[in-house]
Amino acid sequence: MSFGAGKTLRTSPIADDGDALRFCSTCAFSESCLSQGFDKAALADLHVLVDHVGPFHEGEHVFREGEEFTAIAAVRAGTVKTYVVDPAGNEQVLGFFLPGEVIGLNAIHQSRFPCNAVALDTVMLCRFSFPQMALLATRLPGLQAHLFRLLSQDIGKAALLAGDYSADQRMAAFLVTLARRYSQRGFSATRFHLTMSRTDIANYLRLAPETVSRVLRRFQDENLVLVERRELEVRDPARLHELARVVLRD
Amino acid sequence: MIPVNVAWRARRYAAAMNTVPPFDAELLRRYDRPGPRYTSYPTAPRFTDGFGEAQLREMARQSNQDPIPRALSLYAHVPFCFSPCFYCGCNRVITRDKTRGDAYLARLVREIALVAPLFDRDREVVQLHLGGGTPNFLAAGQLAELMETFAQHFHFAPAQRRDFSIELDPRSVSPADVDALAAMGFNRASLGVQDFDPVVQVAVNRVQTVEETLAVIEACRRNDFRSINVDLIYGLPAQTLAGFGRTLDTVMAARPDRLAIYGYAHLPQMFKAQRQIPDASLPSPEDKLALLQLAIERLTAAGYRYIGMDHFALPGDELSLAQENGTLHRNFMGYTTHADTDLVGVGVSAISHVGDSFSQNPRDLPAWEAAIDAGRLPTWRGMVLEDDDVLRADLIQQLMCHGAIDKTALEARHEVDFDAYFATELARLPPLLADGLVESTPTTIRATSRGRLLLRIIAACFDRYLHAAPHAPETPIRHARAI
Repeated sequence: MSFGAGKTLRTSPIADDGDALRFCSTCAFSESCLSQGFDKAALADLHVLVDHVGPFHEGEHVFREGEEFTAIAAVRAGTVKTYVVDPAGNEQVLGFFLPGEVIGLNAIHQSRFPCNAVALDTVMLCRFSFPQMALLATRLPGLQAHLFRLLSQDIGKAALLAGDYSADQRMAAFLVTLARRYSQRGFSATRFHLTMSRTDIANYLRLAPETVSRVLRRFQDENLVLVERRELEVRDPARLHELARVVLRD
Repeated sequence: MIPVNVAWRARRYAAAMNTVPPFDAELLRRYDRPGPRYTSYPTAPRFTDGFGEAQLREMARQSNQDPIPRALSLYAHVPFCFSPCFYCGCNRVITRDKTRGDAYLARLVREIALVAPLFDRDREVVQLHLGGGTPNFLAAGQLAELMETFAQHFHFAPAQRRDFSIELDPRSVSPADVDALAAMGFNRASLGVQDFDPVVQVAVNRVQTVEETLAVIEACRRNDFRSINVDLIYGLPAQTLAGFGRTLDTVMAARPDRLAIYGYAHLPQMFKAQRQIPDASLPSPEDKLALLQLAIERLTAAGYRYIGMDHFALPGDELSLAQENGTLHRNFMGYTTHADTDLVGVGVSAISHVGDSFSQNPRDLPAWEAAIDAGRLPTWRGMVLEDDDVLRADLIQQLMCHGAIDKTALEARHEVDFDAYFATELARLPPLLADGLVESTPTTIRATSRGRLLLRIIAACFDRYLHAAPHAPETPIRHARAI
């Protein structure tokens, strides 16, 4: 009945906080750890450093390009945008990270962050010492497999929008992907708050900002979505997915 | 927030709204008390100087970043009048010196150039209004320059999707001027009439013939204006039932698409011009109500519909149609068919509404001029709306446009439990319920046909600021009475 009922995203989603014995509801690692028979208390015994950090406020940087990489971080609440600045001084948006997703994976191979990460709203993070995490992974095959999975997802995400796709296909793929990612963490797949600005969406999709609006307005006219300010409702998931299929290859 | 179902129960309600409200003099007299008119919520007296140029820039920046940024409405205020109408409470400057128009226009042009870059160019202008004062204090050539400046700095929607309107004083507009206005893109006009009774016209210092008024209406029609509005005022000095009745007959014969019937608010301590009106010349409260009753009877007989507040429209007019299908809105320019737009106001005293903020330019000419001359946006005061303000603004908008509050829709949009959230406010309703002004069901609060002339009284029950701690005595906030 109500738009606001349950776990919808009027502002930015926030995970249920964990405690000494329970994982946060959005924890990026809980599944692979629990499936190996390690609960949080057992992990603490392994001296895995897990720090809750934040809040980072809108516009605050989580890390900057070139800074030394020691930890990866999972988003507990809010949205983090990663970007680089090209030689001409133009920002290139690399991606958006939602609750439950891990940032900093692309820093692993060179021990320095290869991009900037900035909070788009109020962001809370869960930080893991990477050396400790890597050590733990040698003892937990499931965790290692999960790390590899995260790494390949990260690479796949970048490749997603590199093809020769139309503006409609890019936008549909973006929305379908967002919906999936939110629903994987237990949030609504059909109603969410777009924490990223029109400029950021445009930059990420390699479109002009006015094209982003034009495409969304057309989607709205065709009753695929309903947009009011930053709130987005997917009205016709099937047709939206049909449009996105060529990009998502599924 | 997503309007879950904008057309909620609109059709069912339309049946009740189709006619002009029945008249209940005893009731109206009892509720004739001061209160805001809610062209905005919160109302302008709540704005503070904590909101200035920097805040307006930030709100505009944010508004550009919505996935689909709102369309724009533009307002320009022209404060000058050739002579003072004694009833007027508007912000205006009386002068016969036409060169003041040149200096004012030059600064308006600069202000437009300063404010326009705040808004992304792909945001279409769907509504534009010139108000005053007397917009046609500026000559046709000057108005054309103003419109060209707007067109140069903003992106106008295609002609069929835009409403460009202007307030006209028929005493200083010729049919040829109307042709020029149409050529500039204006497609709606609002004419000040007030009363054609010569005795009243002398008493309020506004002598205006029927002929010159009808000639302007005729010129608007010839230019295919989409709507023509006529403003009348009841409760003016020396006004009589016979005289006002003749005015109504004349206006009904001209059949404007829309009519506004305002009650004269006599506040001489606030508005200097009104001190020219002796208290003794005003109609008694009983006579004033009889004038309103007469107007309502004549409008009903002529087939006009009551839209809300002081506004009436013919059944085929867009406002009537919008009320039927639930798409009616209300903003600083009055009732409109345009969904939520960001409003950019230029000129002295002009109000802007960008994102969840209101802001206003200085009300005095020197302060506005100084800001423009210094190259600054002349934002004087304003406020950023909190969630509570947004919720109450939505509630009052529903009431003003559709005569009812849909609790379920508000709960969905704002994530509140209506009855718990508004427990204090609901406790103010029993007298209104007892008097048959409102009906309450578990899901709806609805103005009855008796209550529709008193929408602002119902709205006031939900005004958090009105019921907050009283203001310091040195800064009283004065409102006109309800009727």
